[in-house]
Amino acid sequence: MNSIFLTATTALLFIAAPAHAQPAPYTIDPTHTFVTWEALHFGTSTSRGRFDKKEGTVEFDRAGKTGKVDITIDMASISTGVAPFDTHLKGKDFFDVANHPTARFVANGLAFDGSNVSQVTGTLTFLGKTGPVVLKASRFNCYMNPFVKREACGGDFETTIQRSQWGSSYGLPGIPDNVRLLVQVEAIRQ
Amino acid sequence: MTFERAAAVALAALATLVSMPGAAQPATYVLDPERSFVHFELLHFNTSTIRGRFGPLQGAVVLDPAAGGGEISLRINTASVDTGLKIFDARLRRDDLLASDAYPEAFFVARQFSFEGGQLTGLRGEFTWRGVSQPLSFRATRFACRVDVEGSQTCGADLQAELLRSTFGATFGLPLVADTVRLVVQVQGTRR
Repeated sequence: MNSIFLTATTALLFIAAPAHAQPAPYTIDPTHTFVTWEALHFGTSTSRGRFDKKEGTVEFDRAGKTGKVDITIDMASISTGVAPFDTHLKGKDFFDVANHPTARFVANGLAFDGSNVSQVTGTLTFLGKTGPVVLKASRFNCYMNPFVKREACGGDFETTIQRSQWGSSYGLPGIPDNVRLLVQVEAIRQ
Repeated sequence: MTFERAAAVALAALATLVSMPGAAQPATYVLDPERSFVHFELLHFNTSTIRGRFGPLQGAVVLDPAAGGGEISLRINTASVDTGLKIFDARLRRDDLLASDAYPEAFFVARQFSFEGGQLTGLRGEFTWRGVSQPLSFRATRFACRVDVEGSQTCGADLQAELLRSTFGATFGLPLVADTVRLVVQVQGTRR
């Protein structure tokens, strides 16, 4: 009886133990995950826009310093605060959402500084083309979220892409090639 | 000016980039509603940056670089807050944050401009929000003028400032949501 119990317990421990060494699944918190872009407008001031709909998952092992990210952005959810600008961005000149409704960032290259993610290397698929993107963390942290009573991890990431590498060339160079992406992300441990 | 027309003359516009209004007289600019927004940033649980915006801004700008001066007056509709989450926007409009019912507008007025070599580098004025007025200084991280497709002079700037929201009485969520609010302003206007 005792030995059966012990065996069962040992078996459970055996099953449970490796879980700590494996990446834990996290789901993107859509209320604290946004991609904002910045682009210079004819050299005079910086225009900004934001994508409001997105979903994705993150697997993350802080001890093993590994993980992966898969985030899909609904390109039609662009919001600049100016309706005609949004309409133009959704059209063929820019995002062509009729043919390319989503953009997707997939990464399995997580670099760490101590126990914090410092850089995420992956690929961005946009306008049907896939190209490399490296997101650098300007901030990263994990905390116990008191509302969902689970661990939340996230931070601020940024990169500058050349949109022409994805075939987006409308208005160059007055509308510049360089687009800065600012990514707020938080993900809740499942 | 439409985006399309603007793009069509991109090269011409860039080629005619001018650093400043040439005239010695003060020039008045009408804000371009497509390029005049206040964005705000503040830290959430010391982890990630919450962003939102107000706008389009209403107001007027006078630049007098020869005299090293100018005047800017901006009106911000506080209920226009847009974070991308309607439920969050509604929460922000309540009395312990934006107090949009009691104080539907915030104001920024500045008459102290700093120029270096014809370039705007900063401005100092007064920010009124929730009925509280305090001095506020903006750094100009960018300032440039150009001639647009219609032959009008357009000037634009990127401005940044920080304030402590608690000093205006907006205290909800402290300290888990930070007290320091960074304001990132895009302002662009066409000479009248």
